[in-house]
Amino acid sequence: MRRSVLFSAAVSLFIILVTLLLAETLIVRVQSTSLRQNPKFYAPVVLALKAGEKVEKVSGQEGWVQVRTSGGVVGWVHSSAVEVQKFSLLAIDKSMKTQASASEVALAGKGFNKQVEESYRAKHGDINFVWVDRMLQIKIPASQVLEFMKQGKLGEFGGAR
Amino acid sequence: MRKRRFPVILIGLAVAGWLASCSVVQKGADILAESGKISESDRQSIVKTSETLRSTFADITEEEEYYIGRSVAALILSHYPVYENEALTSYINTIGQAVVFSSARPEIYAGYHFLILDTDEVNAMAAPGGFIFVSKGLLRRCANEEMLAAVLAHEVGHVCAKHGLQSIKKSRLIDAFRLIGTEAAQRYGPDELAQLTSIFEGVLGDIVEKLIERGYDRKFEHEADSMAITCAASTGYAPQGLSGFLETMIGDSSAVSEKGWFRTHPSPEDRLEKIKKDPASLKALPGEEPVRTKRFQQSLAGLM
Repeated sequence: MRRSVLFSAAVSLFIILVTLLLAETLIVRVQSTSLRQNPKFYAPVVLALKAGEKVEKVSGQEGWVQVRTSGGVVGWVHSSAVEVQKFSLLAIDKSMKTQASASEVALAGKGFNKQVEESYRAKHGDINFVWVDRMLQIKIPASQVLEFMKQGKLGEFGGAR
Repeated sequence: MRKRRFPVILIGLAVAGWLASCSVVQKGADILAESGKISESDRQSIVKTSETLRSTFADITEEEEYYIGRSVAALILSHYPVYENEALTSYINTIGQAVVFSSARPEIYAGYHFLILDTDEVNAMAAPGGFIFVSKGLLRRCANEEMLAAVLAHEVGHVCAKHGLQSIKKSRLIDAFRLIGTEAAQRYGPDELAQLTSIFEGVLGDIVEKLIERGYDRKFEHEADSMAITCAASTGYAPQGLSGFLETMIGDSSAVSEKGWFRTHPSPEDRLEKIKKDPASLKALPGEEPVRTKRFQQSLAGLM
């Protein structure tokens, strides 16, 4: 008993030591985001990234991660746009495959999805989604936000603090 | 000596588990298996135990939050007409984005979007997934851009902290997660879909009831206030925006109407009392900026 505990502990710690030296894989969890030249929302965009794309973490700073794409392009993404798959070494083995993990659901596009919305809409014809879709079309480019902040002396463009 | 080693190893395991990520563990296990240090079955069990199950609101995926939010937004829009004014909507969305950039969760599935409701009621609501609404009545109460930014930051705060998702009854989530299960198929069968749709209706009901009828728990409102002050201040707005707005609501004759914010939020006095104690509200930042107040007045001119 004790031997097996010691063995699994040794194996686990060895895995951690080996893998902490390797780059971490992150998955884009939002519909789309941009790979930017600098860790700022209004920095020039290097590449567009889509949900489910995998990138390798290079470094990080204050809410931003520098990543490398599979094509070798390096840039910055905000940490809220990416995630590492959740895990727990202490999870109980028995209940393992009765449910899916959040990352499995996300990758499969399952859960409350378009199909569920369509089914809900078929049942409630009186609920109108026209304005919801129009609302999603309102997009303010980062360059406009930047100009707005400059003009209004906001953020780094403000007076002395 | 041996006795002492055992708890140390256990702690080591727990810390190791906490530190590492799934992908990291998966890679490590793969490397060990390839090099013949562990067997294939050991590799599989290590990778398997590295996946956690879904149990709480925090396990709702970004995409699911977006789909829940879409329907909550549609339900809000079935209660209130939209105030169509492209220039004003664009102005509000620009302030909103500036605030979002400094928020705790700037990137969400389909981004944040703001819309004006055509009602004199003083109200603002945020559906999960970043669908945010402010009423014409509320806009008229704001005296400057600082106040408006603070109100938008309060709503963004509700989205960041997932207060809407936290309003879903736990039993409903457990039912949904069980039903969604592990099947690889991307489309549901008719029975499964009917059951899931009925749970979805329940989920929407839980959130809309809080947003329109009963309001969130007081602690959520105070949390959103605190996030609003920090967020608006990081954007560069004077930290007095929120307190200034709340002061306009004290002793208001429309409070007796028990509509909108008067119905769903703690009293302005109570909120002001809490805000005063917030360290972020004491930050030494520049005050109201004339150039911002001017553009605010120009943007809202047609509304008065």
